[in-house]
Amino acid sequence: MNMAKTIAFKQETFRDDYSYSNSAEAIRRFPFPFAEDEYMYSVNIEQHTPGAPGSVFEHAIDIDEHYLAECEDRRITLENDPGRYIALPHMMDAQWDMVELVMESLSRDYPDLFELTRDGDNWHWVNKPLGIDQKFVFGDESTLPMEPFEYVGRQVQGDWVVMDQRDDDLFADMGIITSQADWSLAFDAGMSFKEWHGPVPQANELGIFDRALKYLLHLQYGSPVRRLNWTMTVNPRLDTSPEEYPLWGPDNVSVTADNVGQKVHLRVELQALFRLPRSNAMAFSIRGYLASIDDLKTYPRWAKRLRRVLTNLHPDLSEYKGLDNYRQLVIDYLAPMDDGAELELGTHPE
Amino acid sequence: MERGYWIRSKPLYDSLVWKQHATGHVVIAEGDGGIAVLKLFQQMCPREPIKLLFADDASASKKYADIITKLVPEGLQVCESGEAVLAALREQLPDCLMGTQFYVAGSEAFIWAVLDELKVFGVQDRNVEKELSGTLARSVYCVHCKTTDKNVHHSIHQCSGCGRHLFVRDHFSRRLGAYMGVMVDAEEPGNIPAAEEIYP
Repeated sequence: MNMAKTIAFKQETFRDDYSYSNSAEAIRRFPFPFAEDEYMYSVNIEQHTPGAPGSVFEHAIDIDEHYLAECEDRRITLENDPGRYIALPHMMDAQWDMVELVMESLSRDYPDLFELTRDGDNWHWVNKPLGIDQKFVFGDESTLPMEPFEYVGRQVQGDWVVMDQRDDDLFADMGIITSQADWSLAFDAGMSFKEWHGPVPQANELGIFDRALKYLLHLQYGSPVRRLNWTMTVNPRLDTSPEEYPLWGPDNVSVTADNVGQKVHLRVELQALFRLPRSNAMAFSIRGYLASIDDLKTYPRWAKRLRRVLTNLHPDLSEYKGLDNYRQLVIDYLAPMDDGAELELGTHPE
Repeated sequence: MERGYWIRSKPLYDSLVWKQHATGHVVIAEGDGGIAVLKLFQQMCPREPIKLLFADDASASKKYADIITKLVPEGLQVCESGEAVLAALREQLPDCLMGTQFYVAGSEAFIWAVLDELKVFGVQDRNVEKELSGTLARSVYCVHCKTTDKNVHHSIHQCSGCGRHLFVRDHFSRRLGAYMGVMVDAEEPGNIPAAEEIYP
């Protein structure tokens, strides 16, 4: 099944009036991350192979009904703060690798929306949803309106960090980051893998990063991997950056028993890692999906599971993820739906 | 200091010790880094050529240039200021051979200013010996307006760029040579904890 024909792109916002919403179909395919009633960090990496048709795992890079609105939100954020895009000077090969990865994936997986014609180094790119028709010479920066990675980065959903590999380590030397869960690209740029993840509690103690790094250093071209991560956000805001914390910080204390269902969103990151062929760098995509507690409540299984996970959550993780102000309100809100019956393993909605 | 867990981006500093297998040695120090230099020269010196760039600093607890001059007969260049040390380093780096070992001592701001110079020549920070001397003062980068303030001694710091009161996190950027400062009263404007001197 080819989803492309059926995507109806929404006009909606991720700021100010927050008109973002999910269709029933978007809720059904939401990558709910909790297979069990308890959550703790684990490496939880699996092959990023094509998943079930219609699922967020179907394609290497997922495009959904929020595509146009997310691209517009990214444009606004970059206009206000160009520092959300950084590419250190030695990353030019990786920039072109990213052009290839994005254009090849999208044109292959969504042929009705994106077209790529290659004639040697002369490439022709058509992005129908965004109304882009661009001829350029692959490898020649001067033939694109901006740096190659920024150019394609503005045409995909989700954030991207591209890590340079040297000295048995990975360095966050390039990124386009406008929908991050409270971390700063401008601050973290150039950091090694463990420095970058420095603030994450419990994970170091569990040896997560040592094992993840060892694994990632050996990632092969053509064999991408993925994992899910999650946090919660008040209001469907993509730009929950430390830079803009003065803007969204007050939202964290605005949740009440009356508005918790609409205001609090589970924010799931589909993280995928791709080895890049020319630069040997590693692309790390962080694709966020937002669903309100009321969206999730559509499926009683998810309501029960989420309530139990939040109830059992380690206090350090609750604090790190910034949930302390409203976690109990979510638990109480979902309580009437939880009969305490045992739930079978798995993340499926029904 | 953040409770509960150790932030790995916070650099660890050690005592300077001569490294083996080098083609040459360059020691760069400022202010109270002078005591680290004196300790280093009490160890058996390596055979390879040694260069020492040093400047006293007005805020340091003691002046070391005179003592160092007596103890280090060759390769010593005493500069007027930390800035002058950096300028001298910039000038001399192109002449350093592959395999030169670097040693840095002084305030944290000085250490990372030196690393910034070395980086241009492809020297990675993990290959530089670093000793933090004298003060625990921090450089703080305001994540909101991108201003970096030096010599911060308190847990809460008012940004010189945007005036916000920043909580100084332990999260450190080697590229910026600074700790992250985040608005402390974003959730409840005006609710600012008392600033305490914790980086004397």
